Order: sequence, then structure tokens, then C-alpha cells
Amino acid sequence: MIKITNLEKTYRTEDVETTVLHELNLQVQEGEFVAVMGPSGCGKSTLLNILGLLDDPDAGSFVFDGKETVGYSERRRAELRKHAIGFVFQSFNLIDELTVYENVELPLVYTGVPAAERKQRVKEVLDKMRIMHRRNHYPQQLSGGQQQRVAVARAVVNRPRLILADEPTGNLDSSNGNEVMDLLSELNEQGTTIVMVTHSEHDARYSHRIVRMLDGQTVAENILT
Amino acid sequence: MLRHYLTVTVRNLLKHKLIAGINLFGLTTGLTCCLLILAYILHETSYDRRVPEAERIYRVTRDFYNPDGAATLQLSAVAPVVGPLLKNDFPQIEKITRLLLFSPVVVRHADRILTEDSLMFSEPAFLDMFAVRMLSGDARTALSEPNSLILEQSAARKYFGDQDPMNQELKLDGRIACKVTGVYQGLPENSHLHPAVLVSFSTLNDSTVYGERNLRTSWSNNAFHTYLQLPAGYDARQLEAQFPAFLDRHQPQNKRATDYVRPSKMTALQLQRLTDVHLHSNRADELEPNGDVNRVYIFGIIALFVLLIACINYMNLSTARAALRAKEVGVRKVVGAQRSEIILQFLGESVLITAVATGLAVGCTVLALPWLSRLAGTALPPQLLWQPAVLLGLLVLPLVVGVVSGLYPALFMSSFQPQQILKGFTKISGGLAFRRVLVVVQFVVSIGLLVSTAVVGLQLRYLRQAPLGYDRAQIVTLAYPLPLRPQYEAFGQALQQQAGVQALARSSRIPTGRLLDASDAAAGIGDSLRPTSANVKYLGIDEGFLPTYGIKLAAGRNFDPKAFPTDTLGFILNATAVRMIGWKSPAEAVGQAFRYGGVLGRVLGVTQDYHFESLHQPIVPMVMFLSSATSRSSYNYVSVKLAGGNVAGSLQHLERTWKEFLPDEPFTYTFLDESYAKLYQAELRQTLLFSIFAGIAILIACLGLFGLSSFAITQRVKEIGIRKVLGASTSTIVMLLSSDFMKLVLVAALLAFPLSWYVMHRWLQDFAYRINMPWWVFPLAGLAAAGVALATIVSQTVSVARANPVKSLRTE
Repeated sequence: MIKITNLEKTYRTEDVETTVLHELNLQVQEGEFVAVMGPSGCGKSTLLNILGLLDDPDAGSFVFDGKETVGYSERRRAELRKHAIGFVFQSFNLIDELTVYENVELPLVYTGVPAAERKQRVKEVLDKMRIMHRRNHYPQQLSGGQQQRVAVARAVVNRPRLILADEPTGNLDSSNGNEVMDLLSELNEQGTTIVMVTHSEHDARYSHRIVRMLDGQTVAENILT
Repeated sequence: MLRHYLTVTVRNLLKHKLIAGINLFGLTTGLTCCLLILAYILHETSYDRRVPEAERIYRVTRDFYNPDGAATLQLSAVAPVVGPLLKNDFPQIEKITRLLLFSPVVVRHADRILTEDSLMFSEPAFLDMFAVRMLSGDARTALSEPNSLILEQSAARKYFGDQDPMNQELKLDGRIACKVTGVYQGLPENSHLHPAVLVSFSTLNDSTVYGERNLRTSWSNNAFHTYLQLPAGYDARQLEAQFPAFLDRHQPQNKRATDYVRPSKMTALQLQRLTDVHLHSNRADELEPNGDVNRVYIFGIIALFVLLIACINYMNLSTARAALRAKEVGVRKVVGAQRSEIILQFLGESVLITAVATGLAVGCTVLALPWLSRLAGTALPPQLLWQPAVLLGLLVLPLVVGVVSGLYPALFMSSFQPQQILKGFTKISGGLAFRRVLVVVQFVVSIGLLVSTAVVGLQLRYLRQAPLGYDRAQIVTLAYPLPLRPQYEAFGQALQQQAGVQALARSSRIPTGRLLDASDAAAGIGDSLRPTSANVKYLGIDEGFLPTYGIKLAAGRNFDPKAFPTDTLGFILNATAVRMIGWKSPAEAVGQAFRYGGVLGRVLGVTQDYHFESLHQPIVPMVMFLSSATSRSSYNYVSVKLAGGNVAGSLQHLERTWKEFLPDEPFTYTFLDESYAKLYQAELRQTLLFSIFAGIAILIACLGLFGLSSFAITQRVKEIGIRKVLGASTSTIVMLLSSDFMKLVLVAALLAFPLSWYVMHRWLQDFAYRINMPWWVFPLAGLAAAGVALATIVSQTVSVARANPVKSLRTE
């Protein structure tokens, strides 16, 4: 599903140049659950941003579903993103002015799903995340675990084939964290491919494969079963 | 999608009530100012456009020139011969009509005696050309017979109450009996003339009224307002080009002139578009005071400025607020929003807010129009705004203003990169330079308006308080009707029996009026009598005039016909006349021979200069002489100087005496102070409106600064915390936060000073007598703007600077 070859990414400010990714290679199969680990600054998040088409590599190739995405216009990337990719963030990133229901509905609004169908699909996913009873609350009125469940609901409501999770349990206590990891596993079992960046060995064990990164390159892989 | 955006917009507004309030208030106020000014402009530009063929109707005007070619007199009317001769010589003229204002005049019906201020003799074609609607009588015949007249409906009520006025008789000036042959609907308010009574022009043929011969031959009585209608598509300049030849063909040569001078060298006729009269004409003897196109421009510019400031507030506050909405933008992009969708969302928000503001502004405008009408002194009905073009404009306005003010914030916010924002980099530093430019623009406009308001106010104060050279306090002016002439001596004695009456005088014109009458003058210089090139205006006065008005003599003496009967051949000049004629001093002029309008006499005295006309006009050379059988002047006014104290009692005495001597004349008086105030009424109103709109502009600008500084402070809470931990005091932090904004105000002041200096310098040039540019106004306006800005910022910084740093550091 994902094939990355010789990826390069450098950030430049006026006088400092920082190479974040260097000759990075990675493949992810359809239905896989991959955890990316490594110390701070090793390039995990940049990798995730490129996978999510939020950022552009400087060089190298990123083939998604057999199609080269490097050089895609902003418009095509947004198209691909909204149909195929869901995101889960460490800090949840819910819109404060929208209710739980509206936050989850948002991706459907942008993909132009008709209102009636939207209603049904949001209800479905909220039920599944066991957060339906909170649908009219605003994010500030929820606990961290609940907020992350809403974020996961939002990530999956469009039925994406790939979920990118950036330290999804980083802001949660262990019981809430486990709950979220269970949810992701469940989604993976139902066929969704997941790439997760994490610092937590515990969370990484939920995955099929751990990719370890250092200084912008993959240095090791552990296959878990 | 639309509902979704609407929800987000409303929730955002409710969440940030202060900013939403500032934006809504600013836009509403800005738009209200614009709509109010628009109503005013629409009214001013609508004058005479209701006349069906307005674009084809022209007024004939006349200029007079000095031998050196400078215009000495610009009249809005022409001599009676001009109209018929034009019609005769130029067959392309389709219609022509003459009007002669014959007011104020006493009109009598049975025992009802009233003074009519707007009675005109009119040719029948007037009714057709100006589309006058008859309520009774026949427009084709109503003005065809001599001694017939038609009444405007309110005038009909005034004279006849509920009675039918048709075929009733009115007596004009105690001698001209006329029959009412019609009643017409008054011309609309936005018309440059409003005759209350129209008398048939043929009445003038009677030699006791004016005389058929005079009508046919007079080139000098330029009192006939003459309008003509040209064919559609005809270029008026073509006709105008033939006027010099026309004058040379018809106007007789000046008999007194030594060498033959072609009439077209001394005078000219022009065509003035009917629709230009109100805004573009400020000639002598206008039928009513006109507007001024410059005023229309000035207010138009102010309206745009106020709106600009409000738009800038919106841009500034929205961009500053961007940090708060960065996460929203990031999330939207992550879940698949295109940049264009984000731009549309933010533009939609600003259009929505502007639409709400427009709605509110329309309401405020309707409420404020009566107030503006009172201030502007003209009727401004809300109907002015209910025309298709304006309504369409109101629909488009939110779109335009919304897009103008929302585009930059929308472009700015939609450019956020989600990967950074969502990682928690919420400090948005971009757009800062642009916001600074906008703040500078706001303050340039505000400071400029402050300076202008101050200069205009000072100039007007100068006009009101400038020494005039005569005393206008407690002077009452009255008409000098024919029946008073034989008994004036006795009338004066009766008046002065009461201590309240100090002095009285007669004159052909009274101060605050214009000085328009002139004749040829020749002055004795050395041994010879030399014609003077100065255009000397004349004023008929009696011996009481100078003392009544407290006008001081620079040399010589006042008239004293009782002691010196030959004073009827004497002249008194003003100092300007002496200087322009070429005498070295007033004393040198006294005793010299002087010939004026064919009368040869001597200079008896020279007055110090005094401002007979308004301060818009320079002091002109003038000659004063007694009215007598040999002079052309006759008295038209009586001026009475009252003592201070019991003015009401003196007025009662005045009225009693008047009624006793003149039982058939209405008693109508005017205080000279009031006439004087009227001279500057237009400017006074303009200044008041100007100050109000300038004040609003500054208020909106400061509100914007308030919002902006509150955001700047929120953004710097952490910095403030760190500085405090490191030992900064409250005052240094307040200084630090304020200095950023104060620098902008300083830059704005430096830009605003030269701009406003230039504009106000130009404005002052319109006054013959004006203040020097008051330099201190500039620093004062700068300080005022800086003061308000500083107060705004300090009010917010102090609490933040005093706060416990631990708290602010924890917020990160």
C-alpha cells in the first residue's frame, strides 16, 4: 500500500539547515499495523506528515496505492487525504467551537456526503466509540480519553483505508490509553491499515511490526506476532 | 456546508464577544455614516433633476469685466432685453422664460397684510418648462393676462384659508391689483427656486410697475432670471460661442466712455446647465443660497475614510485572532478541506458580519436621518435611499465590504500549514507587518481628521469674532416702504423719544448683504479729473448711518446736510477706495474732486475699512453718498440701534410707532446679528458635521487599537511572565508593551502632518480673510491621538503586567 524510497527532507531557516529524513525507505502492506519508534527529533513526525500528504519530501519517492504522490498539487493531495486517510493526534485537535457530533461530521461535510447519510454514519461511529451520549457536548466538557475517542471517531468516519496516529495515548492516563489502543486494534482487525508513531513500548506491542528510526533513517525492524 | 459555516461563525462570534462587538459596532457605525452621507449626497445631486427636460434647460448668466479683463461681477440673472433678443436671433432655442423676483413685497387681501418673500413675475413658459402642476386654473392661460397671478398651495392657504382663492383679488406693494387665476403645487424641496406667488409677466408692461419700454431696452437692470431650452443633443457651447457677437450687435455703446469699447470686452453671457445651478453656481443674486459641490466631495471622502477605518479594524482584529483559529484551520485541512474552501469560509464570515452590520446600519440611518436633516438644514427623507440603485447597492455592499475586509485575513489564515499548527506551534507571527501598516493608515486618517476639524473650527471662530469695523450688536433692520418716506423725520423723532432707541439710519443696502451696484468713477488727482480703473461700488446712506453702525472716519467728516446743503454733492469713500484710486492717504483725499455716476462733487470724508460683505469677500473700494434727486440711489432699509438692557421693551415701542405711522405696512424686523450668523451658517453646519464624523472615525480607530493591543498582550503573556521572573517592574512592562504601538502612532503623525497641512492650506485659500495655519494644532492632534491610544493600551497592559508571572507561565 505504501512504498517509500530514498526519502529526503531538510528544514531550512535563515542560517540553519536541519536534515530530518535521509535516504529513508519503508514499505507498509495493506491491513498492516506498523509502530514507528525512536528518540525525539529522529524524524518520526515528519515521516507521518509526509505519509499523510501534509508535507512534501525534498527528494525520493512516495507511492501510495501504486501511484506516485510526490509532485501532487495541493488540491489532489487534499482529495486523496479526505477519502483515504484518517488522523489521530496526541493532543486530539478537536475544534472547540464544534460539538462532538459536528467534529465527527466534519470530514463527511468536506467529502460532500448527503445530510441524511451523514447523520447515520456519525451515529454509527459514535455508537461504536461509545460516545453517543456525549454527542451534544463541546470538547472542553469531555475527559481526555473521551476526547481521543471522538478524535478516533472522526478519523474513521470516512472509512479511510489508512489511519495515521501520532502518539495517540501521549496525553492520556494508562486506562484511557489502553482503551484507545484497543479501539485502534479493533479497526485494524477490520482491515484498516495503521501507522502509529509512539514513544511507548507498551503501545507499540499492539502493532504487527515496529520500525525504529534514528537520525532520519530506519535502523531496525521488529516483527511481532 | 452552508449551515455548518453559519454555525461555526455564530459560535465564534459568541465566544469572542469583545472582538465581535468591536467589529460589529465599527462596521455598523462606519456603514451608517456612509449611508447618512450618501443620503445627503443624493439629495444635493438631485436638485432640479425632476424637471422633465432638465438636461436641455440652461440659465443665462452674465459677467462684467474690468478694463484689464478681470471679472468684477458674476450675476445669476441678466437684463430684460436679453431673453427676447436671444429667442429672436437663435431659432434653435425652443423655449425661453424670464423670472423677476419682486420681494420682499407687501401683499394685501381685504384686511390681511402679509410680507411675501418669494413673489416673482413670470412668463407663461415657466409653467411648462419647469413642469409646474396646476391644482386649479389652466396652465396655458393662467399667466397670459396682465394683473393675474397664481399661488403656490401653501400661499393660497396663507391668504385665503379655506376659501376658494380663484378670481379673488390681491394687492401687491399697495398698488398692483391682481386676480388669482390658479393654484399650483409647490416645486419640490430639491429645486433651486421656490416661488410662492407667480405674477403674469405682462403686468410689468404697465409703466407704473416697470414699463414696456424698459423691458424692451434696458441692458442694465440685470435682475431677470432667464432660462432657455435647447433641442435634444444640441451642444450649448455652440450657442455660447455666438454670444459675444450677439452682445456687440445689440448692446448700445456706453455714452460716457471716451473711446469705443466693444460690449463683449466688458460683459459676457454664459449658459449654465439647470442641473448645475445648485452645486456649481455661487453668483450674485442667486434666487436662493445654493449648495457647494466641494462640500459634497468632502463628505464623500469622510464617508469613505470612516468605512476604511472600520474595514481595517476588521482586517486587523481577524488577522490578530488568527492564532486562536489556527488549530481549526489545521484540523479542517487534515480532514480534507481545500485551501479555497477555507478562504470561502472566512470570506463568508466577513460577508455575514457585514450583512448584519448593513442591516443594523440601515436601521440606524433611518433613525438618524431626521437628526442629520436638522443639522444639515435640509430635508433628507429616508425615501432618498429607497431607490433601486441604492437598494441594489445595499445588497452588494456586504459582499464588497465583506470581501475587502475579509480577503486578507482569509488568505492569511488559509495559508497555515497544518503539520506545524497541530504540533502546537500556535504562535502566528506572520501578518504583523501588514497589521502595522493598517494601524498606521488608521491613525493617519484619524490625525488628519483631527487637524482638519481644528483648523476649520478655528477659521470659523475667526470669522465670527473678527473685528468688522462696525458694530453689529443690537441693530434691528426694517424695510423702508414708500409711505414712510414723507414722514421719516417725524417717525425718527417718535422713535427716539424712548431711551431704548439710540440711533437710526437709512441706507440702500445693509451690512451682511452684498455690494453689487457700481458706476463709473473719476477722481481729482493733481489738477485733472482722471477716470479710475478701480471698480468702486456704491452705497446710499443718510447722515445717521456712520454713527448708528459706529463706523470710524479715518479723515474728514460725516454728512451733515442741515448745516451744509451742498453735502448732497459730497462723497465719503472707504480707505480701500482711496488706496486704489491712488491717493497717498485718507487726509490727502479729503477735499478732492470726485465724479461718480455723472455727479461731480468733493470727497468729504474717508472711513476706515469695514467688512460690509461677508468675510468670504475681500473689502472692495466703495463710495457712500446721500440719496437725493441727483443720485441714482434710494434708501431701502432703516437700521435702528437699540440700547442694551430692555430690548423687548424697545422692540414693542418700535412696533407701536411703526403701526402708528404705517398702519398698512406689516412690521417685520431682523436683528443684524442673525443676518450675520446666516452668512456663516453653511460653514458652521459643515464644521459640526465634520467634527461628528471625525469623532466617529477616531472612536472606531481606537476601538480597533483596543482590540489589537488586547490580542498583542495575550500573545505575549509568556514573555511578560519571563521578564517579571527576571525582575522587570510593572512600569517597564507597560512601557515595553505600549512603545510598540506608540511608535506606529508617531509614524502616522509624521505622515498625517504634511498631508493635512496641504489639504487645509488649500481650504483656507477660499477665504479672503483667514487665519494663519495654526502650527500648534499639529502636535496637539498628534498628542491627542497618542493620548487616546496610550490610554487604550495602558488600560489593558497594567493588569497583565501586574499579574503573578507563575500564572502566565503555566498557561503555555
